[in-house]
Amino acid sequence: MIKTRHLLDLDDADRPFIEALIARARQFKQGIPNEGSRLRGRVVLGMFFETSTRTTTSFAVAAQRLGAAWINFRTDGSSLSKGESLEDTMHTVQAIGADAIVVRHPEAGFPQALARHFDGAILNAGDGAHAHPTQGLLDAMTLLEEFGDLTGRRLVICGDIRHSRVARSSARAAWLLGAAVTLCGPPSLLPPSEPGWGFAQLSSDFDAVLSAADALMLLRVQKERALGDDLPPYEDLAKWYGLTQARASMLAPHCIIMHPGPVNRDIEVEGQLMRNERSRIDRQVENGVYVRMAVLERTLGQASRERAA
Amino acid sequence: MTATSQAAANQDFVGARVVDPTLRLDAVRTVVVRRGVVAALLDGPPSAADPQAERVDCAGMVLCPGFIDPHVHLRDPGDPHKETLASGLAAAAAGGFTAVAAMPNTRPALDSSESVERLRHDAAALGGVRCYPIGAITLDREGTRIAPLRSMAAAGAVAFSDDGATTKSLKALYNAARYASDLPQRFFSHCEDDSFQDGLMHEGEISDRLGVPGSPSIAEAAIAARDLLVAQVSGKAWHLCHVSAAQTLDVLRAARSWGVDATAEVTAHHLQCTDEMLAGFNARYRVNPPLRSSSDTAAMRRAVADGTITVFASDHAPHAESEKEPPFSQACVGFSGLEVAIGATFNALGDVPLAVMVANFSSNVAALLGVSGGTLAPGSPADITGLRLNRAWSVNPAVFASKGKVTPFEGMTFAVKPALTVVGGRVLMHDQDGDARTERFATSSARGAS
Repeated sequence: MIKTRHLLDLDDADRPFIEALIARARQFKQGIPNEGSRLRGRVVLGMFFETSTRTTTSFAVAAQRLGAAWINFRTDGSSLSKGESLEDTMHTVQAIGADAIVVRHPEAGFPQALARHFDGAILNAGDGAHAHPTQGLLDAMTLLEEFGDLTGRRLVICGDIRHSRVARSSARAAWLLGAAVTLCGPPSLLPPSEPGWGFAQLSSDFDAVLSAADALMLLRVQKERALGDDLPPYEDLAKWYGLTQARASMLAPHCIIMHPGPVNRDIEVEGQLMRNERSRIDRQVENGVYVRMAVLERTLGQASRERAA
Repeated sequence: MTATSQAAANQDFVGARVVDPTLRLDAVRTVVVRRGVVAALLDGPPSAADPQAERVDCAGMVLCPGFIDPHVHLRDPGDPHKETLASGLAAAAAGGFTAVAAMPNTRPALDSSESVERLRHDAAALGGVRCYPIGAITLDREGTRIAPLRSMAAAGAVAFSDDGATTKSLKALYNAARYASDLPQRFFSHCEDDSFQDGLMHEGEISDRLGVPGSPSIAEAAIAARDLLVAQVSGKAWHLCHVSAAQTLDVLRAARSWGVDATAEVTAHHLQCTDEMLAGFNARYRVNPPLRSSSDTAAMRRAVADGTITVFASDHAPHAESEKEPPFSQACVGFSGLEVAIGATFNALGDVPLAVMVANFSSNVAALLGVSGGTLAPGSPADITGLRLNRAWSVNPAVFASKGKVTPFEGMTFAVKPALTVVGGRVLMHDQDGDARTERFATSSARGAS
């Protein structure tokens, strides 16, 4: 069970924790009265050290629907980039009156570092290749909506697993809810041994694992990363681990397609498949708002209880 | 040396078990010290008691040739908030070491005969633990231009190393090794391929779960292979610092089979601490080379047992507490080692014979550095380390003499405790029944005499 007020990753999460958040998100989705007064007067600060459109917007909409103020902390010209220490910046942010910080950073573990110096709640919106817990929750919510129960279902995640925080969080959330998980990619981009991360099956043969999938999640190819020395050219990766029409025809009839976005059209997914009846890409984005509402409500509620104690 | 310390140099250390591998000795002896030199090892009390000699009761102790740490970072000059020569050598005395070899990655680097001379002079003026400078292989340790190796050797450098990083240019290393191939000073390799510099921990299961860029074992082993090939073609005697990966041991064994004269050291932390300590992003435990897997630590322990590794080192790398904070990329690498190394190393190697442990801490290190000490043979300088083998003690960094307080051994309990440090007949530390009476040699009187 996650005992802290923060949401840093899903490593310590258990099934009841995830089920409770998703149940609450589904209530928000159906509509509850007075949602706009639930977090009135609370201040949520967005700290994005990496560009983000959908996650920032999704968190902002979630905060504002609950009545909280959403403020974007400009990280480009911030005192942090002027050499102020992390500790000093956090004390400033604390003094300003932020109740929660939603943080994205290119370094794994950065939210953990922030949490050491902040009395409010830290919500991780993505740290390096480590974790993206709200993405994991929204993917789990999308899967639950689809299948009702994940026992006996198989989620196949395909692409650059190694550098993907989405893969780590979404695989864990689905596994905690009873799904079997297969991670698919070239050997250099998979966990070093099976079971991956303690629970996942590994495969480097996309065509061989396609037909067993109840849900297929493609990962975003990070083109900028592919210029380095740890990834092949993205065209090569896409050819062997992208979803083409031919591969889509091998999927089980009920299999859904997911992608954390933004999609590189015709690289991870052939363009016309994105609006195909299998695609749940828009549903994922929609569910993201409700999941983040549930997370903010739980976190800010817990933070105020902890502070009162 | 002050008059006081000369007077204190006539001593009879009585009642101890004396273990000296160079003499094949393991028996109760009285160590008779006159004018800072071992005069005799007597079976029984001194026959003609010298009224001027101080009697030091060592009952329950094991006396060994003074332990020498071949790998410490004293941060002087450059980073006095991390450590100074005085605080670092005080830590050595407190930790049971009679001598240390200082790595050249100070600011500025130890890359000239003047800086080598200055360090020797300043350390001697403190009058305590002996300090041997290691000169840089390349100027400013930037890995491309060869440093004045012959002048540094003449000034007293005991070895050469760009430790802290790998010598970047193979060409510079190759030419430096050939330039100095007729000198006895070994080259000490820090093995870590430059292209893995973004690695923040050992690449393995833990780094993969955390999504942290890793530095795999091959980043060490490949450079070890490169450097030992240079040793082979240059004929230079070589030493591998802080071996951490099992694969590096394969490379070392292979190089020896080609006839390369290569030694290797291991640290207390690489004998027993693993990358699991970094789970949860615990940046305090970042070190270079990184803590690796349990199969690597097991391989290190076997390599000591089978004689592949013959030298222990602390890799004492002190930093301020605030410099060991997360995130990983901002945390300085390294641990405060001098005051835990002996207890922690014995802790990892309970099955290794005592004589081997002592040799790896003393005579083998003296041979490696080409310095005096490493033996209690009559006529040798009276550099003595005393141990209590069953004196359970807990690591409390708050009482360290070192300014560096971060160690992976904090709170651990060890059986073997350093209890006596004697340098040239001068008692620098004497832990009488668990309560250390440490003579701080960096006192105003010692300084005033210099």
